Amino acid sequence: MLQLIVNGIVLGSIIALAAIGLTMVYGVLNFANFSHADFMTFGAYIAFVLNVALGLNIILSFFIAVAIAGALGVFLDFLVWKPMRRKNADLVSLIIISIGLSLIVRNAIIFIWGGSTRNFDLPVQRGIEMLGITITHNQLTGLGTAILFMVLVHFFLKNTKMGKAMRAISDDINLARLSGIDSDKAIIWMWFIGIGLAAVAGILYGLETTIRPNMGWFLILPMFAAVILGGIGNPYGAMVGGMVIGLSQELSMLILPSEYKMGVSLGIMILVLLFKPRGLFGETKA
Amino acid sequence: MIDYLVAISIIVGIFAIFAIGLNLEWGFTGLINFGHVGFLAIGAYTTVLMNLSGAPIWLSMTSGVVLAGFFGLLVGIPTLRLREDYLAIVTIGFSEIVRLFLLNEEWLTRGPMGLFGFDRPFEAMIPFDYNYFLFILVFGSLAVIYLLVEKLVHSPWGRVLKSIREDEDVPAALGKDVFRYKIQALMIGSAIAGLAGAFLAFNMQYISPRNFIPMETFYAWIIVVLGGSARNKGTILGAIIVQSFYTGTRYLQDYVPLASHQMAALRIMVIGLLLVLLMMYKPQGLLGRKEELTLGQ
Repeated sequence: MLQLIVNGIVLGSIIALAAIGLTMVYGVLNFANFSHADFMTFGAYIAFVLNVALGLNIILSFFIAVAIAGALGVFLDFLVWKPMRRKNADLVSLIIISIGLSLIVRNAIIFIWGGSTRNFDLPVQRGIEMLGITITHNQLTGLGTAILFMVLVHFFLKNTKMGKAMRAISDDINLARLSGIDSDKAIIWMWFIGIGLAAVAGILYGLETTIRPNMGWFLILPMFAAVILGGIGNPYGAMVGGMVIGLSQELSMLILPSEYKMGVSLGIMILVLLFKPRGLFGETKA
Repeated sequence: MIDYLVAISIIVGIFAIFAIGLNLEWGFTGLINFGHVGFLAIGAYTTVLMNLSGAPIWLSMTSGVVLAGFFGLLVGIPTLRLREDYLAIVTIGFSEIVRLFLLNEEWLTRGPMGLFGFDRPFEAMIPFDYNYFLFILVFGSLAVIYLLVEKLVHSPWGRVLKSIREDEDVPAALGKDVFRYKIQALMIGSAIAGLAGAFLAFNMQYISPRNFIPMETFYAWIIVVLGGSARNKGTILGAIIVQSFYTGTRYLQDYVPLASHQMAALRIMVIGLLLVLLMMYKPQGLLGRKEELTLGQ
């Protein structure tokens, strides 16, 4: 039980981190980005190449990979999302494009690195045992890093000019433009931070489990569940939502076979849609 | 050679039926169903399981179609009153749950080992190669479904669907119960997918959860979008092109220095790229009418 709670908190922090970017894009650009989770995988593989093939140390690999993923997010905005905004495209076309991108990213990874699982080059350490449960060093590092990044996001959103601009465009992009906010610039920042955080989550997830082409894709449903639970466009909601989803998935193993973990996300999401479609803290439009 | 063409055509026919179901949902009504393969699986497994437990094959097929339609209703209820992207998220999860169920409930489905040894319609009575009969059956059904869907979408009911796709506030303002129309479209589309599932089982004589991975849904998507959303003729053309592409690239395998998993990945990358480019530059596809399908552009 206690072990499941620990595992749930660790998984929850990863989902939470990845869901921040998903919910920001959802709130600002108003579409469900199905490719978001594959950038988790992308980040993990780039870090893997830097760490294992090029022999860089893991911390350096981590930061470079996150920066590359964030830059790719910005690049795709110029290549795809910005032209579509110019055309005033319907949100359904954006969703279909995002699924196409997801297929491209995931299969490019399979094309280059194959389908087998990979691991970072790290010394194997014994887990810490206490109160009858085991916490691995990777879980502790992962949790610590995830919390650190969530705190950073909080300070960025509350205290910096760009963070405030991002919250403003998420609330109402037209109103934000009228009050003189450069929305294009804020959107670029949003992609960099959102996809960068997804890469952070992907690398941490790869540390705790293994690196494989489907690792992100299998988390897209829990991530959407976290976003919807927390209210679309609300980064704090996504963090809480991620924790709730992570914990419920792990604790569900007390009553359900572990194969159906994913069903828990779907179940929670359906309950939210039926009874509280704006999410727990929803302020945005449903 | 003829046998081979017949075998390939059967697959084209099955995918065309499957994709026409999606076209009714997406092309005509604007519903984003990313879990279409779940309904294919329900149709296939229901048909096979009913038959294996003694039901006649026609009754089994009908049950598969009805059950697939019923699950369309179940999925639609929590999602179709809300914004359109919720359907996309929930359906993709639904189809994965269906696959996990088939994979893990071995008492019912034999899990990864799959099911075989079931009847096929009139199999005992056909004096010639059964594939020729299956060809006729699949294309006969495709023709019937094509005509039925065409009739439906040109009826007053179908015009409401298209108006929902373009702007659902308009039919709502005219007093139409938009939710009911959407549910009906999703149920019919899912039932059509269920029928395609039964044919898939007949064609392979064996089904396993591996046949129902999420990618199958996106094959249907590229068929519909490439052919031209809201054009059933286009969907059939799309099925022919996509199957030719699939078969062609398998032959190409012998001539390029790529491992088979790389070829498979490359194939899906091409499909993903095509989906992106079509939605960006030619959302009406090959045969669609630009002035009709606006998608806000």
